[in-house]
Amino acid sequence: MSDLAARLAAGRGAIVRNQAFWGVIAIAALLAINVVADPGYLSVGYNGETGRLSGNLIDILRAAAPILMIAVGMCLVVATGGIDLSVGSIMVVAGAVSMELLRGMDGSAGNAALTLAIALGIATALGAVNGFLVSVVGLQPFISTLVMMLAGRGIAKVITGGQNTTADNDSFAWLANGYVVGVPVVFLLAIAIVALVWLLVRRSALGLMLEAIGMDSRASRLAGVKRRSLQLTVYSVSGLLAGIAGVFATASVMTVDVSRTGYQLELDAILAVVIGGTSLAGGKFSIGGAVIGGLLIATLDKTVVFLGIPASATPAFKAIVIVVLCLLQSERVRSLFRHRRALRAQSQKEAVAA
Amino acid sequence: MRSTARVARAFAVAGALTLGLAACGGGDDDTSTSGGDGGGDDVVTVGFVAVGPEGGWRQANEANVQDTFTEEAGFELKYAPATNLDQRSQIDAFTSFVDEGVDVILLSATEGAGWEDSLRRAQEAEIPVILVDRGIEPDDTDLYVTRIAPDNYEVSTSVAEWAVSAFPDGANYFVLEGPAGVSVVNERNKGWDDTVGSAANLVKIGAQTANWSTEEAKSVFETVLRANNNDIQIVFAQNDEMGLGAAIAVEEAGLTPGVDVQIATIDGTKPALEALSEGRLSFVAEYNPLFGETLLEVVDKVLNGEEVEPYIIVPSETFDSPEAATAALPSRKY
Repeated sequence: MSDLAARLAAGRGAIVRNQAFWGVIAIAALLAINVVADPGYLSVGYNGETGRLSGNLIDILRAAAPILMIAVGMCLVVATGGIDLSVGSIMVVAGAVSMELLRGMDGSAGNAALTLAIALGIATALGAVNGFLVSVVGLQPFISTLVMMLAGRGIAKVITGGQNTTADNDSFAWLANGYVVGVPVVFLLAIAIVALVWLLVRRSALGLMLEAIGMDSRASRLAGVKRRSLQLTVYSVSGLLAGIAGVFATASVMTVDVSRTGYQLELDAILAVVIGGTSLAGGKFSIGGAVIGGLLIATLDKTVVFLGIPASATPAFKAIVIVVLCLLQSERVRSLFRHRRALRAQSQKEAVAA
Repeated sequence: MRSTARVARAFAVAGALTLGLAACGGGDDDTSTSGGDGGGDDVVTVGFVAVGPEGGWRQANEANVQDTFTEEAGFELKYAPATNLDQRSQIDAFTSFVDEGVDVILLSATEGAGWEDSLRRAQEAEIPVILVDRGIEPDDTDLYVTRIAPDNYEVSTSVAEWAVSAFPDGANYFVLEGPAGVSVVNERNKGWDDTVGSAANLVKIGAQTANWSTEEAKSVFETVLRANNNDIQIVFAQNDEMGLGAAIAVEEAGLTPGVDVQIATIDGTKPALEALSEGRLSFVAEYNPLFGETLLEVVDKVLNGEEVEPYIIVPSETFDSPEAATAALPSRKY
């Protein structure tokens, strides 16, 4: 009996120490606040006429899709001990390419597919440039992707001639606004892509190799991990995912706004990754955690609007939620709350590592 | 060894970059001296601290200024758009114009506050500063020569008057604002509030920023509609882009813009007038961007040492029906 109790306690401890757990708690808390404000918040309606589910939860899922894309890309990059600051700018490039191409075409589905392929190809290429600078040239990831972050928005401005470009194509808009069996296409696509990435890295040794590079690049090389090609791949994938995010963001309004599309979203992506329990020091990652982080950011954005928090107080509100969450995630702060237990060496070590 | 080689390579790259930058700086200096020399008689150098890509309105305005101050007209225009609407980059551009000694500076500030020091430096260098469109806060008229702009207060008052007359039986309204703290936003809010505030049957549901962006406005307004069970009749969008985003959100909620929710916007760009002619928007107040000619006259006067008014208002129109929009569309320049 005591054995079982001990195991249960250990299990509970593991859950509480899992940082993504606190992300889930935060999402639940935000949803609870919304329910207090309006008891019907969680209700999901079904419109028989259009065959669509509708409700606040569905809106959150839709808003989360672009963030999930860049968060998963960021997660892989961070695992190798790098960082990708250019995701927001690659988003706007993909959006600018799509809108500029679609503007000159008729609205057929074939053109939409062609545009999608070109936009994602360019996004992947920009990611590959990041990867090249990091892996072959050996620049710091922070610097190489910072360069791309500045250059990307410039490229987008050149592509559209500095204007916000609008286009019409129903198939392209369907990617962001359409529904399949009542569920938004954009969320289904996002989840499918996340699942694919998860299978690739966690059902093969790929994930372990990425973590090995993040832990100790030299040791991983001695162990036979091909650092260069893996880094090149990881940054390209991050670029590709950012391109998909850019397509989602621009397709929802069929407009690219060169100074606002994807602006500062790299920070959201980093935040999502950190909330999900991936250390920025590299060497470990959790895609599930990044997904929870992305959902939390979308929930937070929607909550601010739903509660009608004044525009000027919005950044402060968001900051408070994030700070509280980070404090709860910190082992050291939690043990301070537990007055009775002394600070054990074990937990101290973990707090430092986190 | 490997790491030293890497450091050496890094230095080489950094060195190349620095050289490149120095070369750019050198180029600027050359043109400025030649421009400064000729400033007195033929070529007038004009430094334009601009906002850069922000939306259709800004595009039209800045293109109009660039088309006015041409070489043929005897000007050398130095166009310096902000980097991602960042005030820091504007202050840097402003300072370098002062250091170069241009003849006159045109300033469209992305943010109203924090310009005192820069403007004083220009004053010490005896370079006249003309504010284009955006004002500064606090509005100290000693620091600049004049401000030329359509009047935000007047324009948003015209939107508010439309709302009051279109909804005599009362309605709920929501405001989609630009970024908090920008002077345009404050002025447009004030014009609207002063008029709508006196109409007790117009109820404010809330206000939220959508950062001038269509995408954000759509996301914000879909949630606002849910939070209020679609019980909103008027949207006051402080620019066209946000109004168009709100229209998409209204359509996706299964309502009809123009019928269930009436959307009023400010700016009067082509896409907005097209939407008005289709009935998706209900009221568009123009905020006239094409005042390059007026600006040119004022610059000439200032350089000749004549007195000018501290605030010159550019007249603007309003469009309140699909017919008015259809009539205006063919001649629309932006």
